[in-house]
This record gives sequence, C-alpha cells and structure tokens, in this order.
Amino acid sequence: MNTTTVSAAPVLHAGQTIRRADRRLGVFMLAPALLYITLLVALPFLLALFLSLTNSSAGSLEFSFVGLQNFKNVVASPVFRRALRNTFVFTFVSQAAVMVLGNVLARALMRPFFGKTLARFVILMPWAAPISLATLGWLWIFDSTFSVINWLLKVVGWLGPGQWYYWLGDTTLGMVAIITIHVWRMLPFSTVILLAGLTSIPNEVREASAIDGAGTLARIFQIEIPMMRPILTVAVLFGVVFTFTDMSVVYLLTRGGPYNSTHVLASLAFQDGVLGGDVGRGAAVAIFLVPVLVVLAIVMLRSSRRAEVV
Amino acid sequence: MQTRRQFVVRGTKLVAVGAVAAAAGPTIFVRDAKADGQLKILQWSHFVPAYDKWFDPWAKEWGAKRGVNVTVDHVGFADVVPRATAEVAAQSGHDVHMFLGLASAFEEHVIDLADVVAALEKKYGKQVELAHRSTYNPFTKKQFALSDMWVPDPGNYHKEVWSKIGMENGPSTYDDLVKAAPEIKKVAPQMQIPIGVGLSQDIDSNMAVRNILWCHGGSIQDKDGNVVLNSPETLRALEYTKKLYSVGMTQAVLSWNAASNNQAFNAQETAYILNSISAYRTAQDNKLPVLANYFFTPALKGPTGTQLASEHVMSGYVVWKFSKSQDLAKELLVALVDASRDSMLGSKLYNFPSFFGAAAEPNTPLNRKQESGAAWIAAQCNKDPFGSTPPDKLALLAKSLPWSTNLGYPGFANPAEGEIFDTYVLTDMFAKAATGALSPKDAMAEASTRAKQIFDKWRQKKMVPGGGKDK
Repeated sequence: MNTTTVSAAPVLHAGQTIRRADRRLGVFMLAPALLYITLLVALPFLLALFLSLTNSSAGSLEFSFVGLQNFKNVVASPVFRRALRNTFVFTFVSQAAVMVLGNVLARALMRPFFGKTLARFVILMPWAAPISLATLGWLWIFDSTFSVINWLLKVVGWLGPGQWYYWLGDTTLGMVAIITIHVWRMLPFSTVILLAGLTSIPNEVREASAIDGAGTLARIFQIEIPMMRPILTVAVLFGVVFTFTDMSVVYLLTRGGPYNSTHVLASLAFQDGVLGGDVGRGAAVAIFLVPVLVVLAIVMLRSSRRAEVV
Repeated sequence: MQTRRQFVVRGTKLVAVGAVAAAAGPTIFVRDAKADGQLKILQWSHFVPAYDKWFDPWAKEWGAKRGVNVTVDHVGFADVVPRATAEVAAQSGHDVHMFLGLASAFEEHVIDLADVVAALEKKYGKQVELAHRSTYNPFTKKQFALSDMWVPDPGNYHKEVWSKIGMENGPSTYDDLVKAAPEIKKVAPQMQIPIGVGLSQDIDSNMAVRNILWCHGGSIQDKDGNVVLNSPETLRALEYTKKLYSVGMTQAVLSWNAASNNQAFNAQETAYILNSISAYRTAQDNKLPVLANYFFTPALKGPTGTQLASEHVMSGYVVWKFSKSQDLAKELLVALVDASRDSMLGSKLYNFPSFFGAAAEPNTPLNRKQESGAAWIAAQCNKDPFGSTPPDKLALLAKSLPWSTNLGYPGFANPAEGEIFDTYVLTDMFAKAATGALSPKDAMAEASTRAKQIFDKWRQKKMVPGGGKDK
C-alpha cells in the first residue's frame, strides 16, 4: 500500500508537469493565430458592426448612435442596390470564367509541348504582378479615348468610321472590363490548383477508363471532375470569397463610374466611408458582405471536412 | 485537469491583453518618442512637378536656419484625405497636412489658426475671399486651415479649330458650346470629343459640373447652409448639360480621370476643356504640336450672365492637435505665405497667392500692399517668364479673381459640401441626366435626397448651419 503510494506519487507529479508544459506550449503555439484573428478579423468586424449603428465620420472621434438609420439610407439608395447586384455579377461571372479557362489551361499544361516552362512562367505572371501596376496597363488598354483594343479593331476593319467602344464610359462595357481584368488576375491561381488536382489522379484510372471505352467528355465529366471535386470546391470557394471582398480593380479602373454604376460593395464602402468620410454609412455598406461570407465560410468548412474524409 | 473551455478562455485572455498592448503601444510610444526640433509635412504631389522641386528644398532650408529637421512627404492628390483619416485614427503622423480645399471635415482635430491669419492680415492685408470661405467655419467660428495659394480654373480652347468656326477668341457663354459643337465636328472631324467637359467621378468633373450649376443660378446650398439643390435652376442646368452632351460629347467624358482631359486636349482629340494651366505646362515641357493652338478663356457665362468657376485647387494647411510642434508649424505657414512670390514662380504661375499683399513690392505701405501684389501678379501673367508665345497668353489669369469662387458657393465650404464632392453626388446627377439614365427631374430628386441626408448628418454634429429652409 505504502509502496504503491510512494511509487505512484512521483509518476503522477511528472504527468502533471508534462501536461502543464503541454498546455503552456499549446497556448504559446496558438497565441499568434488567435492574436491575428482577434486583431485583424474579430476586432475590425465588431468595430464595423458598432460603427454602422453610429454617425461616425472620418475626421472625428466623437459619434452618437443612430440605430438602423444608416442601413435604412443605404438600402434606399439606388447606388447601393446597383453595387449589390454588381457584386454578385462580378463574383459569379468572373469565377465561372476562371474555372472554365483554368481547366482548359491546366489540361493544356499537362501535355508535353515545346516551351512549356516558358508558358507556365507567362501564365503565372499576372498572379505575381502588383495589381496597381497591372491595372494601370489595363487602363490604357480600355481607355475611352485612346483604347488599344479599339485601335486594333479599327485596323482590322471591325470598327467603321465613327464607331468606338467606350469601355469605361459605358455601364455594361465597364463591368466587362472589370471582370476581364479580374479573370486575368485570378486565372493563374486557379490553373495551378487545378493542375495539381489533375496530376493527383492516378494514370491507372485514366487507362482503365480508356479500356472501358470512355471518351474524352465522359472521362472529364464522369471521372476527373468528380475525383477533383474537393480541390475544385476549395478553389471555387477561395476565389468567390476573394472576389466578393475585392475592390482593387474597380477602384483603380473605373472608381465606380460611370455615374456610380460599376461599384461593388467593397468599393462603395471605401468611397462612402473613407473618401466621403461617412464611416457609419461605409460600415453599413460593408456589413452587407457578412451574410454571404458567413454562408461561404460554412460551405468551405463543410467541404474541407468532407475532403478530409475522402 | 484543464478543460478545453478553460484552455480557450485562458488563451483568449492572453490574446486580449496582447491586443490591447499592441493597439495602445504605437500611440504611446510614437507620441513620446517625437523629438522637439522636428517638423513633418504632408504635401500633395503638385500637378506642376517643378513646384515640388522648389518647395522641398525651401522647407528644409527654412528648417535648417532654425535648427529644425523638416521632413516633406508627398502623396497623390487622391490620397490626401485617406491619409488624413488614417493619421487622425492613429492620432499620430505629420504635424502639418495640406488639403486641397476640403479640410473642413477634420476641423475637430486641428488647432485654430486664427492667430496666424490675424498676423498675416496685419502684415499683408486681407486674404482673398474665396480662401477665407474655404478655410473658416463661421458656424463654429474656427479658422481650421490656412490657405497660402489657390488656382484659377479657366477654359482651354484650340485656337485653330475655334477660328475656323468664326470664334477665334473661343467661347464666352455656355450657349456658345452648344452652338459650336456641331460646327467643330464639321471642321475637325478627326477630333473625338468636340467639347471635353468631364462628367465622371474625378476632381475636374466635380468642378466643371459646379460651374455649370452656378452659372445657371443653382447651387447645393444657399448662403445660410440650407440645401437648395432641388430647384428650377438646377433643372435648367441639367437640361442644358443633356443638350450639350448630345451635340458635343461622347461617353468618354463619363470615364475620365484627373489626367484625361489634359491628355485629350494635348492629343488634339478635343477643342475645349476646363482646366488649370498644368496641362498647358505639360504641353510646353514636351513641345507638343498642340502648343501653338493652346489658348485660354475666362469662365463662361450662364443664361442670366452669371460668370463663375470653382477654384481648381485651394490649399488648406492644417496643424493637427496631436502635433508636438504646433508653434513651429505655425511659423512655417507664415514663412510659406511670406514666400508667395517664389511659390508662384516655383509652380510656373499655377499657384496664385491667397494673400495678394504677400506678393507686393518690398516696403510698400500696408494699405497699398494688395494693389501692389496684384500688379506684380499681373506683370507675371502679362509676360509669362516660362516662355509662352505670345508672352501674354496667360494674361486673363490676372483677372480671374472676380469669376473664381469656393466650393460651397454661395456659402462657405463645409464638411457636407466636402462629402458631396468626394462621393460624386453632383457628377452622378449630371451624368445620369445627360445620358438619359434618369430624367433631369429624377436625377435632381435623387441627388437632392442624398445631399439632404449628408447635410443633416453634419448638422447633428453641429458643424454645418441651416436646415430650416431646405428645399
């Protein structure tokens, strides 16, 4: 009995010490991530929520509560409703284009051809280029007075005398320009992810499908895409979240014009909250991103869990 | 044993302490570490780059004479307000911040410069009225900024083209633009945009649409700060713009940025723009073919003869309350006004002194200083020291004060006017009416609603007067 007690006590003490050390190490290891999330996600989000209920302005640290007034004003604004619609159009059209083109590029890059390394480098360039510099280049390409595209179309006879595309001066063409640049920008990321997915499919599977008589389309849609579903889901969701919250292309290319018709929610929030100084209204606009992002986050978490099971 | 919940709570507490320390740290440390004998200035990158080459060494030399280390940082004009917002939020940054006429929103965070203005007026006489109206809030009675300079905003016209249609001196009324546009299309079919008045979300368009509005008798606010945008005069301005757009403009003007009208004029793709002389100086520096035909007109007259144009730039230097070098900052601002002649020449006649008396001949009695300063300014414009041909090409600028006014006309510039400017409420209204996206009446109603919301918000903060007679 005594022996047991005497011998058990040091063992228990050592275990406690190890567990305590483990806990300390755990807290230490988790602290940077928790600190990051708290400082850069949780606090700004709570602050935005708080500010959206106030009449806070950029040049002042004083404010008073206005309840839901900012939300009422924002919802009644045609500019906001347009921006909300644009956000969905911008996100889903550009992501659809990115996934289709990314698939095409990834399949092309899987095959051996002369200059493949150079082609990969060129395809990755837009991802590495700073978006501000790249957009300045695109600004000239789409410039309403000096558009390079228009001059080319004139040269090849597509545009006759007096015909001109005002890329950034037309609501529809403006959105086309914005989506084009964003697709150009996102394509490398998507291509690399899809290429990784395609190369992870064992060759035996493809060979077996060929022996079973599957054609190209059947192989793509019934074998490869289902097998790549987890990675495709992750690529789409990351792309959607990134696009939904992005304002850089809109801000640099059109600044929301013509007549505030090409804004997305993020750029409108910046215009109202930072440039216009109405922080409360800007925060209210930004808050409208949250419900969609919450749904997307849930889908992402579920799909990643499913991917782990697979 | 510690549960998962306890573990997370403990970790969260640790993080919270870290977060508070991280948030508070910079404020405490930066403010304490700010040494005396330092002055940090935030300036825009001037539209005429020669000015920055004059200002930076001038400021450093001024500091060196006093044993002060002066730092000058430049940002693009579009970043002036966002940068101020960030510095106010951090309560740290530069000591002196230069705005382009829209400092009023930051009134609460800047020191009162009434003593600086009083000292300068004692030395040089009154400042020009539009500078006073851009830097003083009569409602709070605070001199929140100091203007050392302002910039006239004339019309720029292509002499050869306008001569071909029988108007060799360019347009003089808004009606002239409508009449001339079809003629310009005939004599210069290669020009894409006969009349290049911007209707986009940029600074030049913001001024252009205000000019049209004022010259048709309309305005955002009246002199007492009541919102009066919803008016027959505004409707008339919108209908005029719709007509002008249909006969003389293209969708290009809806997408222009601050450089676009300069580029279009310098490329001879348009025959008329509203701009300061920066585009002209660019044409000179690059010896562009347009130079021989580059000429200027005063502000255009509206249907009732009103002739007004917004200042193109109005400097508004503020000194932050968080600055540890407030007295030094004030001294610098006085010295900057003292150097008005050098400033005007450094900017190649782009900057006009806000205190005309500061450009007077030395030893002129106070009651003659404004007159003397005006004479010196006129002498520069009448014989451009920077090589204009003919030398008096810029002569009309010397007479620009009577037709130049401030943002917020006929009242004072205020935060509500600033927010309307920065969120493009007016350009949005004009563009929608011009293109037919909305009828002029609906465009006016939409903009008026938004303007009233903005004014109401600032009235609640007790920074803007009026409200009893909003339309």
